[in-house]
Amino acid sequence: MAPFELVVPSTVEEAMAALRTSGPGGASALAGGTDLLNDLDDGRARPQRVVSLRRLPWRTLDWTGGQLTVGSTLPLRALEQDPEVARRFPGLVQAVRAVGSVALRHCATLGGNVVRSAPASDLVPVLLSLDAEVDLVGPRGDRRVPLDRFIRSSRRVDLAEGELVRSIRFPEARPSSYLWQRVRPANDISQVAVALAFSPTGHAWRVAVGGVPPRPVLLPGPARLLGSGAPGPEVVRRAAALAGEEAPFVTDRRASEEYRRRTVSALVARAVAAVLETPEFPR
Amino acid sequence: MTRTPSRLQVNGRAVELPGLPDEERLLDTLRWRLGMKGTKEGCRSGACGACTVLVDGESTLSCLTLTREVEGRAVTTIEIGPEDPVVARVRSAFAVAGALQCGYCTPGFVMSLAGLLRERGAAASREELLEALGGNLCRCTGYASILRAVDRLRSEGP
Repeated sequence: MAPFELVVPSTVEEAMAALRTSGPGGASALAGGTDLLNDLDDGRARPQRVVSLRRLPWRTLDWTGGQLTVGSTLPLRALEQDPEVARRFPGLVQAVRAVGSVALRHCATLGGNVVRSAPASDLVPVLLSLDAEVDLVGPRGDRRVPLDRFIRSSRRVDLAEGELVRSIRFPEARPSSYLWQRVRPANDISQVAVALAFSPTGHAWRVAVGGVPPRPVLLPGPARLLGSGAPGPEVVRRAAALAGEEAPFVTDRRASEEYRRRTVSALVARAVAAVLETPEFPR
Repeated sequence: MTRTPSRLQVNGRAVELPGLPDEERLLDTLRWRLGMKGTKEGCRSGACGACTVLVDGESTLSCLTLTREVEGRAVTTIEIGPEDPVVARVRSAFAVAGALQCGYCTPGFVMSLAGLLRERGAAASREELLEALGGNLCRCTGYASILRAVDRLRSEGP
């Protein structure tokens, strides 16, 4: 690993100042490090300075009514072990448990996953289905961006110099489900992933898929087909088939396009059934 | 943002690390600076679990951890003695079940299980124990005997 200077600020102001360095390679923010350390090791990232976020007061989980705000540096393991999160956001907890391994999730964070924006992120699809928003702090003030806009492409996000993700906000609890297909259950990348959620206030479904380049996406067509409540079997079948047609899958070294199209239809049908079975689904 | 001298607690012992480079990983500090070779280097990228240690009781991949990031915290490795009854119990279950072939992955498996038992105590289910091992690879594929060690831990109780 090439040398760098590690700074560990205690306040947000110090962190933003530390990120503004004019040196070669600039500065990288370090949350859990489970992704960044690999880039530092193989030279894909060569910052002069690494700014650790571990002392910032962002390892938080806050409820305001039905809204959930997750601090960006809260370890994923803490999120998955919260019983209220599991009850109100089942899809979120299923997706978190798909990330790496237990040991990895003791370090990995929601903020890190979103900012690093790996194309095969297991968290981005479910965050899309929950209409998650990203709360940012920066030298020019705070702002809030829908996750769908924050993620630009593979490993590209709408983050200005000196800006940091403070938290991820979930505007409402939603019956939801996350299902994936991959070779190994742990420490593997999903070939296909499906996140489904039902908005009890908007009476609308959200369907998101992962395993598509360059980033996970929402599929509005199948979501519309599923309607405004509990769909019947024929509707589910048609929505699942449409997801197989609409999702922008390609063939790569992990799976063929055809495999992905057939798999995503099966996963969508199963995920609808899982959402309908949650006790929180409105009847 | 003042630079504090690097101090860790490793297996209950205070350790000072003068001249520690900022970019050094906990795995390398343990193996090469402290000479504690029980913690193994496998993939060096968080995919195999061989380097698992406990940091404040939680299973952690030492290859993906900067040593300075765990300053002041308690690191537990496979070398800890009987003063850590949880690690000792898992180690003994592995020994009795003969849960190793070449043995290279064993410290990682033991520390992953010890971390889960610290976290969940007697309430730990078989499913949770197996999930905690999801990130540990045994390239000898000696999983059957490892599962026997897990079942031994369960049947023994806390």
